[in-house]
Amino acid sequence: MTSVMTDSEKVIAHEVTKSLVPQSCQLVIFGGTGDLAWRKLLPAVYNLNVEGVLPSHFAVVCFGLPAEGATQVDLDEYIRKRAKEGIDRFSRRSLDESHFSDFARSLFFVQGSFNDTRAYELLKAKLDALDQQFGIPGSRVFYLAVPPQVVHLCVEHLKLAGMIRDPSDTTSFTRVIVEKPIGRDLASAREVVRVVGSAFAETQTYRIDHYLGKETVQNLLVLRFANSIFEPLWNEKHIDHVQITVAEEEGLAQYDAESGNMLSTRAGYYEGVGALRDMVQNHILQVLCVVAMEPPWSLAPEVVRDAKVGVLNCLRPLAPADVDKYVVRGQYIEGEVHGQRARGYRKEVRASFESMGRDLPPASVHSTTETFVGLKLFIDNWRWAGVPFYIRTGKRLPKRVSEVAIQFKNVPQVLFNSQPGRPLEPTVLSVRVQPEEGLSMRIASKLPGPKIRIYPVKMEFNYNSSFGNESPEAYERLLLDVMAGDATLFMRRDQVDAAWKFVMPILDRWEQSRVRDLPEYQCGTWGPIEAERIIESDGRAWRNL
Amino acid sequence: MTVLEPAQSVSVPLRHVEAELSRQMKAMQKGEETPLHRSCMSNLVIFCDQADQAQEVARQVPEIVAAHRARVLLLIGEHGDETDSGVSASVLVRQLSSGRNHQSFSEQVTLRASGGGISKLPFAVRALLIGDLPINLWWRSLQPPPLAGPLLYDLAENAQQIIYDSLGWLEPTRAVAATYSWLEQFEQGLRGGRWRVASDLNWRRLKYWRRLIRQAFDEAAAPGAIASAAELLIEHGPHAVVQAWELVSWITSQFGWKVQAGKVQQGLELSWQFQAQHGPVRVRIRRLPQGIAQVLLLRLQCKIGDKEGAVVIRLEEDRRLVVEQEGVSASPRTANLQPQSSAELLARQLSDRDRDPVFAQSMAIAQELAKSVLD
Repeated sequence: MTSVMTDSEKVIAHEVTKSLVPQSCQLVIFGGTGDLAWRKLLPAVYNLNVEGVLPSHFAVVCFGLPAEGATQVDLDEYIRKRAKEGIDRFSRRSLDESHFSDFARSLFFVQGSFNDTRAYELLKAKLDALDQQFGIPGSRVFYLAVPPQVVHLCVEHLKLAGMIRDPSDTTSFTRVIVEKPIGRDLASAREVVRVVGSAFAETQTYRIDHYLGKETVQNLLVLRFANSIFEPLWNEKHIDHVQITVAEEEGLAQYDAESGNMLSTRAGYYEGVGALRDMVQNHILQVLCVVAMEPPWSLAPEVVRDAKVGVLNCLRPLAPADVDKYVVRGQYIEGEVHGQRARGYRKEVRASFESMGRDLPPASVHSTTETFVGLKLFIDNWRWAGVPFYIRTGKRLPKRVSEVAIQFKNVPQVLFNSQPGRPLEPTVLSVRVQPEEGLSMRIASKLPGPKIRIYPVKMEFNYNSSFGNESPEAYERLLLDVMAGDATLFMRRDQVDAAWKFVMPILDRWEQSRVRDLPEYQCGTWGPIEAERIIESDGRAWRNL
Repeated sequence: MTVLEPAQSVSVPLRHVEAELSRQMKAMQKGEETPLHRSCMSNLVIFCDQADQAQEVARQVPEIVAAHRARVLLLIGEHGDETDSGVSASVLVRQLSSGRNHQSFSEQVTLRASGGGISKLPFAVRALLIGDLPINLWWRSLQPPPLAGPLLYDLAENAQQIIYDSLGWLEPTRAVAATYSWLEQFEQGLRGGRWRVASDLNWRRLKYWRRLIRQAFDEAAAPGAIASAAELLIEHGPHAVVQAWELVSWITSQFGWKVQAGKVQQGLELSWQFQAQHGPVRVRIRRLPQGIAQVLLLRLQCKIGDKEGAVVIRLEEDRRLVVEQEGVSASPRTANLQPQSSAELLARQLSDRDRDPVFAQSMAIAQELAKSVLD
């Protein structure tokens, strides 16, 4: 069967190969005083500004309530000061006063609560005024950096305030960026999609997963489809298995290195959510799609997204017995991280709620929220038939590292691989997502000398050292894409749906089993011992990272 | 490859080790255009439990990485005060000599802990290993691995090779009695296609002895010697009893002698009665009060041809082995030894990850010999 590109598709394919052109607009950050804006979004916009890639007519408006205790009378000054702090602490580029003042001139704040109709009127008035001031044609990108339960309020008020343009409008645009989590199960995810969809068309909606904005994840496509040697090997004939690891050093809270006092905590979000919803359902399955997808016939967003959703649709559904066999969860207990004693999860939850001045929810008293998940899955299509994908993610693991490792089949047990019980280390292609984005390939080599002795060696490519400057942060790329109207790296509604469909049997089985205590692992170790079972029973092992 | 510029070690909090390594490497980069090359074949984790040992190892590291490039994690865990003072870290990047168009570096991280803090070292190590490269653990402590307890297992959890040195072992008889069983257990039973090998540097030191013994007792060189052996004497300098023991175990396994009984004169001599095909053979390991920590002499009393005599192999000036035949007229033969420092020995062992079945077989005999003197 051959596929024929229509004229419009040809145009799309042509357009996306051109360099991205972000269009003039205002970026409106809901939750502009929150953690995400402080740590990621404002530093990202600052870096884009330094690089001179923002549209010439552009402004940023943060919308929300100032932090408690903030006494600044001039609200724009308030947000500029906060942005400066955030850039100083978290930006990949160090703060440069002259660049910052340039950036600060287009940074504004509108104070208001998300359920306050009057606040939206103020916001609208401010945006209209800034359109005039900056020569912006009324285009908006609304970034909903807010808790999921607030999304519907924001969307409904935006609609009521008449701030959403029709998608067919050719003079200006309105786009919305929706942050994860998109729901906490299939039903609630569909509800979020429905609520957003009631105000924004799918073409206006950008469901962000910042993992997809990382250079290495994008480079996976280039690696696979711009090099002639990999794609012929990228299948069940040559690949033994794939391992995807997303390991975090941090636990629930962040502490001051000197005093050990708690600085911030994610307990309010994470407790009751857990690693499966926080990591697997979104980031890891999205990365899996890029690893396993069929070659798209063009780089047009819908073509790429079709190829990705094709992977999710082929995931072998897990029956309850499969969940027991192939999925392991765990929770960290006291251990050591960087030479410091680290609290166990339950203690950290209690301390977090105390520090937030909130009562511990009854279900959290004896929390069974998983901080580690290890699982084995299969993709039932011709390319991947029988190839296991092993996935592990967790908090308080020994180091922060995210990678995809493609382990190739071992050579026959003749010649150099003839010692029983002592197989040669297999060839592994590992794609490092963080830190130090890059890739490496482990191959067998002969040691110099008269005897034939085989030793594994690693060929490495590191983005920073090869290209001489740091890779842009994922949010930088993704924000630019939204301004340019390129949805390739964002999740379409059917992707969200398919990812939840895969995860639901696991959640259901866990709900049904009602265990009181999860398998434990010490902080600073690679997860519970039970996680070894799912891979060692196949004669394989988790990688040393 | 030699190590170039002497560098300065910098103390940093444990969580900043990687950043400090990168900083030092950048600082050494001469030209912006010259590619940086992290030279690394493996992770080398070294555990010392005494400060003087650690100092000696620190002096050896440049020689080791010059021969086998590795990220070195030097762990110093001193017992004594049981209070836990945490783990402190210092970082040192060395520049290795390099080609015209690239610069290469080796990395050393020194981690110190004492008392209760020692149990934190495996956690610190996990965070600092370079993924995908073999992990070697050099157990530099004089505490024999079979008697070392959980720390060794925690440090070796993902290691492919543990290297130890039985030279100077504490409690040698008890340690030798436990080694073979420990080897079996340590090297076997790993699942998931993983494997692990344990290597004794002392065994590697015996390489030339073993080669020469094979030649010296060849039927053509010393006709009838093995078939008429009456007594085997091995003399060693202080701290080399286990080396002599390993040599005896190897020789008796090669010659097919079976141990009957053994006894020990503490600090002086170990002796055994063996049964060979031709009759009983006495074997003695004698400790000399002075001398280097090596096997110094081997003497096999036997017939050579039809004359009573002996085959003697002695170490001369630490750099040559001399073979002499007593009771017959034969010129002595010499074999020059390649002088090998401990660092060189270790560097060679790092690349040699094959399990040596002859070593395992010899340690099985050594265990029998140890049991016979402990009974």
